[in-house]
Amino acid sequence: MQPVVPLVVTLVLLPAVCAGFCLPRGGDRIRPAFVAAACAAVAVAALMLLQLGQGDFTPTSRLWAPLVAAGDFTLLAFFVIVGLLRRQFPVVLLALAQAAGLAWLEVAMPHAVEAGPTFAVDWLAVTMVLVVSLVGPIVALYAIPYMADHEKHGPQVDGPAAAAPGARSPRFFAAMLLFLGAMNGLVLANNLLWLYFFWEITTLCCFLLIGHDGTPQAAESAWRALWMNLVGGLAFVGAIVLLAGAGHPLTLRALAAAGPAPAALLAPLALLCVAGFTKAAQMPFQGWLLGAMVAPTPVSALLHSSTMVKAGVYLILRLSPALHGTRLSLLVALVGAFSFVTAAMLAISQTNAKRVLAYSTISNLGLIIACAGLNTAMALSAALLLVIFHAVSKALLFMTAGVIEQAIGSRQIEDMEGLSARLPLTTAATVVGILSMLLPPFGMLIAKWAALEAAAQSPPALLLFVAGSAFTVVFWTKWLGRLVSVSSATPPHREALHPLYRAALGATAFAAIALSLLVAPLTNGLVLPAVRAWHAGVGLLAPSLTVGSAAGDFPVGLVFAAVLAALAVPIVWMRVHPPALAVPYACGEQVPASGRLRFRSARDETPEVSLGGFYLDGLFGEARHTVWINAVAVTLLLLILIETAWRIPS
Amino acid sequence: MITLLAAILLAPAAGALLTGFDRIVTARLQGRVGPPLLQPVYDVLKLFTKGSAVSHPLQVLVVWIHLLSVVGSLVLVALGQDLLLMLFVLALGSIALVIGGFAIRSPYSQLGAQRELLQMLAYEPLLLFLVVGVYLRTGSFMVRDVLTFAQPLVLTMPLFAMCMVMVLGIKMRKSPFDVAASHHAHQELVRGLMTEFSGSTLALIEIAHWYELTLLLALLALLWATPLAAGIAMALLGYAAVVLIGNVCARMTWRWTLRLGWHVGVPASIANLALLYAIR
Repeated sequence: MQPVVPLVVTLVLLPAVCAGFCLPRGGDRIRPAFVAAACAAVAVAALMLLQLGQGDFTPTSRLWAPLVAAGDFTLLAFFVIVGLLRRQFPVVLLALAQAAGLAWLEVAMPHAVEAGPTFAVDWLAVTMVLVVSLVGPIVALYAIPYMADHEKHGPQVDGPAAAAPGARSPRFFAAMLLFLGAMNGLVLANNLLWLYFFWEITTLCCFLLIGHDGTPQAAESAWRALWMNLVGGLAFVGAIVLLAGAGHPLTLRALAAAGPAPAALLAPLALLCVAGFTKAAQMPFQGWLLGAMVAPTPVSALLHSSTMVKAGVYLILRLSPALHGTRLSLLVALVGAFSFVTAAMLAISQTNAKRVLAYSTISNLGLIIACAGLNTAMALSAALLLVIFHAVSKALLFMTAGVIEQAIGSRQIEDMEGLSARLPLTTAATVVGILSMLLPPFGMLIAKWAALEAAAQSPPALLLFVAGSAFTVVFWTKWLGRLVSVSSATPPHREALHPLYRAALGATAFAAIALSLLVAPLTNGLVLPAVRAWHAGVGLLAPSLTVGSAAGDFPVGLVFAAVLAALAVPIVWMRVHPPALAVPYACGEQVPASGRLRFRSARDETPEVSLGGFYLDGLFGEARHTVWINAVAVTLLLLILIETAWRIPS
Repeated sequence: MITLLAAILLAPAAGALLTGFDRIVTARLQGRVGPPLLQPVYDVLKLFTKGSAVSHPLQVLVVWIHLLSVVGSLVLVALGQDLLLMLFVLALGSIALVIGGFAIRSPYSQLGAQRELLQMLAYEPLLLFLVVGVYLRTGSFMVRDVLTFAQPLVLTMPLFAMCMVMVLGIKMRKSPFDVAASHHAHQELVRGLMTEFSGSTLALIEIAHWYELTLLLALLALLWATPLAAGIAMALLGYAAVVLIGNVCARMTWRWTLRLGWHVGVPASIANLALLYAIR
């Protein structure tokens, strides 16, 4: 037996089996053990896969293909039935349309499948497996204390308070583990029919997890996520049917090898890209990811970092060799770059921290897709680095948002004012998360630097990149500013943090910093081997502790040293010249010795100073922009379909 | 090594002299004699002798990060390094100062910080476009390649030079752009972002300002790098223009600055980029 076989089985099947073990209702005590065991197993298997690097695996039993087909139909039947029961007719229609497509495939083309291995391990797959299986388990472990608390108090924010969801943890953890297994399957699958099966399982898990709390708001968001992702599923089925109809082998490898794609392949490729856009919540499909924030926060941490949305960008990255040199590739870049800039702009106006994070995710995924569309070796290197660093930083930020929410009972950024005094540990982790999304010497910025250098060749993408970067600075800095806004009188506070929270936040914050320092080995070990498999061109160059391009240079080690020095100098300085603490100036009108900052106002009143951030809703708000953004995004999608559809030979 | 030392030592000296010159010119335009040329240096030395009082310990941290990142950006330019990287390091310093403003629960300070952030939104794209323009013309992001490029860049990048003057005005906190922390304590703003900085922390901000002034003028000079003397003359001309504009203009709002950046600066940059693509 090849060494790759047990690893694939561990990565894909084991979480699904453990998910089954999570289901019994009475097992509250033993369930965390199953979750932990599954997490440890997939993490170890992922690291072993990294050692292996590559390999193919086709299950030998003839039973598997019918089993996968049966799984597809069972899933679709489930969607149809729950859709009918809850009168969600778009869901019913979309599921039925997919079933019709699959049925046609089974009847008319029963042997369309038989080329190439079922699972193929290469460096792109290894990179994705590492992202899924190292970041995902951290979130799953974090969910153990989170859900225990969540079950006690119920969803406590924003909408009408709901009753405690009761003992629904079994289903929750089962869906989470199943999700991890399906994601691993999705990134390892070479056969498109298997890939589609895993794709639909992630849609199912997403639907179950978003609707977990059972509030009307949760239900609405879950249905929206379902129908939008079923649109993607339908596009996927359409692509498979077109490929099978053209007699093309249904494997990713065959598709990638066909690049630059002949005219007959453009339409299925375009449909697969549309499927990727839905999963990655690109405009105009952003609605489902924004709605998903009603779910318990571990769900968001999982959806936004290592699973679901990354499936969308993975598919497009995977297809980029086939798109190379086509006009479709440029259009894909435009869709991504448009989402990058518009989502960053809308994020400025958001007052809800999870919504800011959601827009930031849409924005960053847009950047990744734009890089995939630019389709040069440099751009693809940037895209892969973005996938890795975004997963770590976004997992960290959502997990801290969850801790904050449970501590202060709010997701509003305004309620987080001065959090650095109230929750010093969590705030420190949040600050690391925000800085790692934004500033040198962190990996996201190194990747953005590479993306900008890559985009200089393509004027429209470049324009959107520059605008998006400017917006990004504003919304992160605003949030950071609220966190540290503390009056000097506030004494520092010791924070009690659950050990698992401490471990999860600590591990991801450490990873965000360490991976940034190690960006050169990361590039050489994972990113460049993956990119070289598709592109002969020069990608990112990465000699020791520095990265560079043909036209520029980013000395990572040096920048790190400089930043450390910039932190050390003031700390030493403060030891030597300890600053005296003063009360902020209030034009001589402050009320002395009141502890908090009060000032003399009209009619001898002495109100306390209250502060607030700018959100500029009139300038950057959803009400003003969503309509035209959706119109432009739909137009771009139509352009993609028109561009490819008229080339289908009749 | 020598260029490094020269950058670290001479840049603030040049910045201080230019600031002193600005104060004399401004005084003359207002019918006053004005302070001696070295007054900015005297001011900073005096600030260092004062006790340091802050409202939040974070202020000391951010001031140092601000100063060292500006110095770092200048060092990157002096060593002929990557311009995009230099912009990111410079942005780190600007963000640090904004965070310092936010850290204090003072309405003036926070208002200044918000406005500073919006000013960044107005000028960051212009700087990024400038660097991309330089790349399109020279084929490199590295300063050392720009310095050896045979033709003066400004001939094909005139609108970028115009935008740089705008950025210079915003960065120097000159009217009509002095909405975040003006030189003069205005009623509704007091001193904005800088209200709560005093003594040595304020002195460090002033020194950072000298470095930043030299850095921005060096960027402008890069547009006419062969011979560099012409570029320096052009940079000084740009500086004089900013001083003049600052003296004859009234203070506008942050909305106006943002509009100027995005409705004039960005289209001008794009037009110039289009020109560069066309002649490639």
